[in-house]
Amino acid sequence: MDFLFQGFLQAFKLLLTGDPETYSAVAATVTVSSYAMAVSLLMGIPLGFALGHFRFPGRRAVRLVVDTMLSLPTVFVGLMVYALISRQGPLGQMGLLFTLPGIAIGQTLLALPVVIALGATTVESMDANLRTMLISLGAGRRQLLLGILWEARHGLVEAGLTAYGRVMTEVGIAMMVGGNIKWHTRTITTAIALETSKGMFAMGIALGMVLLLIAFFTTSAASLIKRK
Amino acid sequence: MPLYELKNIAHQYNGHLALSIDHWVLESGRITGLSGPNGSGKSTLLKLLGFVERPTSGQIFLNGRKTVPFDAVVRETVALLPQATFLLKRSVYHNVEYGLRLRGLSRLTDNRVREAMSLVGLDFDHFAHRPWYALSGGEAHRVALAARLALRPKVLLLDEPTTSVDAASAQHIKSATLYAHQQWGSSVVIVSHEHQWLHEISHEILYLFQGKLLGSGHRTLLFGPWLPADDRKVYMLLIGEQRFEAPHPPPEAIHQVAAIAAIDLSILPHDNVMVPAPGRLQGTLTSMSLERITGRIHATVGMGSVVFHVVVPPEIFNRGGFTPGSAVWISYQPDDVVWY
Ligand SMILES: Nc1ncnc2c1ncn2[C@@H]1O[C@H](COP(=O)(O)OP(=O)(O)O)[C@@H](O)[C@H]1O
Ligand SMILES: [Mg+2]
Repeated sequence: MDFLFQGFLQAFKLLLTGDPETYSAVAATVTVSSYAMAVSLLMGIPLGFALGHFRFPGRRAVRLVVDTMLSLPTVFVGLMVYALISRQGPLGQMGLLFTLPGIAIGQTLLALPVVIALGATTVESMDANLRTMLISLGAGRRQLLLGILWEARHGLVEAGLTAYGRVMTEVGIAMMVGGNIKWHTRTITTAIALETSKGMFAMGIALGMVLLLIAFFTTSAASLIKRK
Repeated sequence: MPLYELKNIAHQYNGHLALSIDHWVLESGRITGLSGPNGSGKSTLLKLLGFVERPTSGQIFLNGRKTVPFDAVVRETVALLPQATFLLKRSVYHNVEYGLRLRGLSRLTDNRVREAMSLVGLDFDHFAHRPWYALSGGEAHRVALAARLALRPKVLLLDEPTTSVDAASAQHIKSATLYAHQQWGSSVVIVSHEHQWLHEISHEILYLFQGKLLGSGHRTLLFGPWLPADDRKVYMLLIGEQRFEAPHPPPEAIHQVAAIAAIDLSILPHDNVMVPAPGRLQGTLTSMSLERITGRIHATVGMGSVVFHVVVPPEIFNRGGFTPGSAVWISYQPDDVVWY
């Protein structure tokens, strides 16, 4: 059990002394997850809203597909993206394999269904009376959409945070698509996997703590939106 | 020019026909009561008039112009208070000002919010900054009404505004409704089960039954069951073995609902010597009131579960003998019965 305590101490040491290897992994993690989340939210919120708000033919089928994609295994996504961007793949020319944007593509595939599905559920469960109320007070089309989005903000932030959780904790994609290259595509989770395989548990725990700290700050920022 | 004109309106929910109105005109500057059993399509009609929903088929003309939801003229003209209370998860103040903000009228906000809140009897200092969850049901509904009144709408549509609120709230809602009509000239449509109030306040009362408008006027509806009587007549059995007789319904009267207008019923105190006869019924005077809008005196006469609405001419009223609780006669001509 001693390595738990050692891990805590080491986490602070790594962060306070500005350990370059740790900070490189932190930077990779933050970069990749920011890309993935930005794209997922920009695409996922409108799509989720549309899926939850509008009645169109085939809506249930779309819903079923999106819900199924919530269970996508990360290694499977990793494999698919790998096949897509490896030298022989259809997107091979773009040289995305073993790069941060490559990982971000995979993580977007992971986060997007979460944002869409939970976003749609949130919008769907909004009181039908909200729509009536907004229109009856004179909301135009745009004001109606914005009004519903605003009232749904808690659920949407929650959807974003859930997706963010999936992105931050995944190893499969970063490992397969990124290749865990030191100073380059090594993220916190792949670093943990490596340290653990070397038997350096304390180091692994230290990195885990760092990951949690990042999550803590992001979640706190997000809850500020919710509190409003 | 009429305020509303509806043409060939049909509205369905999942293939189920909830409302069907071939032609209907509503004049401007009036208070119209809308009554009818649950599920008869009252809320649906109000949502169409409020342009919250688009009819499945047919056209609605507002001030002579064909109008659909989200038209600019709607927000300048109409405000609907839906049946279910729904507030935004914000303070009372923000709820009341919301419609003004949507219209970009923020410079008016503070005065209008104060005015609207006082109209519904909510003390500004006491309530303005309360959160939405710290209100009783009646207070919440008054806040919702205040949000509409803040807009000083030309057309105010109220869907059962006094149902399921406490008596004090109902009183405030009623007086605010009258104020809107008298001070701003608002046309008002009120859906309510409170007949007494509707008779008091409305120029006209409309009845909806199974999605159809059963004409208008202050009157009593009788739903049967109808039993055959002599010479092609039918009757409905009332309390004390009394019969309400009417001519046999014509084939087009699909609903089998009989209506008798309040002005076609005469009323006499019980000490007038009369014998029960066709077209003559004995009941209990349950209320007398002044129809504030029309200036007529209005009485209700109960016979078991049936309540007759009667207009009392001043010369009859002045003879006296009308104390609520006392027995009275009402009489009518069976030929004045209208069938639906
Ligand atoms: N959103 C809806 N979806 C399906 N059916 C509805 C909906 N709203 C109303 N209805 C149905 O339409 C009919 C008329 O309803 P409504 O206009 O609410 O009646 P009222 O207000 O007179 O009680 C009822 O049979 C009701 O069940
Ligand atoms: Mg209703």
